[in-house]
Amino acid sequence: MIIRLLSAALVAGFLAAVVATGLQLALTSPLIIAAERYETHASLDLPAFDLPELDLPGLDLPARVARTRAEDPASPLPIVLAHAHSGHGADHGSGQGSGQDSGQGSGQESGNAAPAWQPGPGLPRMAFTGLATLIGGVGYALLLGAVMLACGRVPTPERALGFAVAGFLAVALAPALGLPPELPGSEAAPLAARQAWWLMTAASTAMGLYLMAIRRVPITILGGLVLVVAPHIAGAPEVAATASPLPAGLAAQFAARSLAIAFVFWATIGLAFGWAWAAFGRTAPAAAHA
Amino acid sequence: MSTTAQTLGTQSLGTTGLRANEGRAAVAIAAFLGLGLVFLAGFAPASALHNAAHDFRHTQNFPCH
Repeated sequence: MIIRLLSAALVAGFLAAVVATGLQLALTSPLIIAAERYETHASLDLPAFDLPELDLPGLDLPARVARTRAEDPASPLPIVLAHAHSGHGADHGSGQGSGQDSGQGSGQESGNAAPAWQPGPGLPRMAFTGLATLIGGVGYALLLGAVMLACGRVPTPERALGFAVAGFLAVALAPALGLPPELPGSEAAPLAARQAWWLMTAASTAMGLYLMAIRRVPITILGGLVLVVAPHIAGAPEVAATASPLPAGLAAQFAARSLAIAFVFWATIGLAFGWAWAAFGRTAPAAAHA
Repeated sequence: MSTTAQTLGTQSLGTTGLRANEGRAAVAIAAFLGLGLVFLAGFAPASALHNAAHDFRHTQNFPCH
């Protein structure tokens, strides 16, 4: 049972990751890179990755930038990879494992070049995006299988698709109502508050859907509705309304594409999990090491 | 309840009990692993992990930055 569940989740996560990675690279990654260009232009217009690794707050940045540019005038391609400017590295280098990210706003002053590792531009970055998608896909597929079995449902492709749609509603659509998918450089509330609201909304929506769709008696349907609606009445962490250098069209396109990709991701996980579950039920356990 | 029914009941309970235990263990392991992987890809605060998964986090609408 456990082997079958893990194998089916691995296969489903892999297939979904292949599909979703292709879509991400084609549809959202170009928008993210474009947004990072705006982000960099908006803040000091400096090539952050050209800054020395041991950059400390309080140093004379403009002079430093001028020096960097003087040394290598060809280099300043104004792209910051994975927002090296936002001070994550400085924050986490000392406080590893504290488990809480102290929520730097994305509009934070730039210039603290993060000493943290990040994938190089181009192929490495794409590869790590794919790897992260694979990890996330297998994780979601495992959760999907666990929930289906815990609910006593045999994972046929149709049923698994139904649960996967519920998963999409719980972790993609419901949180996106309060926290729309954002490009780098958008203004946002502190990270910890947003993560807490995201988790609460996802858990509450999932529980609400379970009460409504699986339990399905009047009292649980009512309770489920309350659980689904409550996070939105409580409200997502507020975003201070500030002007963003990002074109609104870019942000809107990103939000729509992000939700579409999330839906395809989940639908593929569901269908593939149902299919793989049946396939691993038929074959000998020895063949289950796919 | 008659004796036959009782023995039958315990017998079937014995085998289904085992099945149920195995199923519960599978569900628990899968849920634990799944949560761990999703945390790793979507929430882990270590900046190297964050940077590696950056584009995925943005696209899948995990809170980022």
